[in-house]
Amino acid sequence: MTDFEDQLRRALERVEPSEDFAARVATRARRPAPWFQWRAWAAAGIAASLVMGALSFELDRRERERQQGQAARAQLIQAIQITSAQLDKINRKVQGALR
Amino acid sequence: MVTSSLAQQAIQPAAVEARGAFEAAVREHQAMVYSVAYHFLQDRPAAEELAQEVFLELFRHWHEIQSREHRIFWLRKVASRRCIDHVRRRKLRAHVSLDEVSEPFTWMPATDPLLKRYIEQLLGKLEEMPRLIVILRYQEGLEPAEIAEMLEMPVATVKSHLQRSLALLRRKLSFALPEEKS
Repeated sequence: MTDFEDQLRRALERVEPSEDFAARVATRARRPAPWFQWRAWAAAGIAASLVMGALSFELDRRERERQQGQAARAQLIQAIQITSAQLDKINRKVQGALR
Repeated sequence: MVTSSLAQQAIQPAAVEARGAFEAAVREHQAMVYSVAYHFLQDRPAAEELAQEVFLELFRHWHEIQSREHRIFWLRKVASRRCIDHVRRRKLRAHVSLDEVSEPFTWMPATDPLLKRYIEQLLGKLEEMPRLIVILRYQEGLEPAEIAEMLEMPVATVKSHLQRSLALLRRKLSFALPEEKS
């Protein structure tokens, strides 16, 4: 061991941290880790997204049902109008034959 | 698992025992971990923060530690890795070449605290990996093979870093230690 290496060893002697170091580490260890908090927030975010997605899907489904209902109603009205016109035509022919 | 349920751990005797053992381990190894960080970063608050992070990581991996020797190896390894990460991530200090550090005007006695400070200053100017290797060699007294295993690099690389760093430091220190000139 040279003087130089001995000097290095002395310069690099271990030093103690502040007195309350261990207590502060213990306190931090008792708290949930940041990654744990982050995971909780992520889970809440995912849950909220799922709820929003389900709600959006349900609203979309209802809108499609309403549009289908309106289309069916329009077709029914059109069918009734055609039937009514046909019946009117037949009625007029029958009345003409009777005279 | 130590971190799985912190609320439950507070009432489980095994968890209380593990926590007591953890706190004892912190007290036993705090000087080692803190000193690696302090000599590497040369910044007390940053070193304390880094040392705390190392022990919190130990807490999370407590169940994986098999023995006291394993714990020491693990702490040195994690502290080393975090030191390197810390500097690379935050670019803590702009690197100044060792050649740019001015020499002291007069030689200093070997016990002089100023010399100790000067050596620390020189050490702080080394590149990250050589600096860490010098710290592990002279603070922790590790052999090059042990350092190589810890830092996952070839022994020859560790020896080469050590030789180059020591030559640079010796050259600078020759102004402070006249007996080293020969």
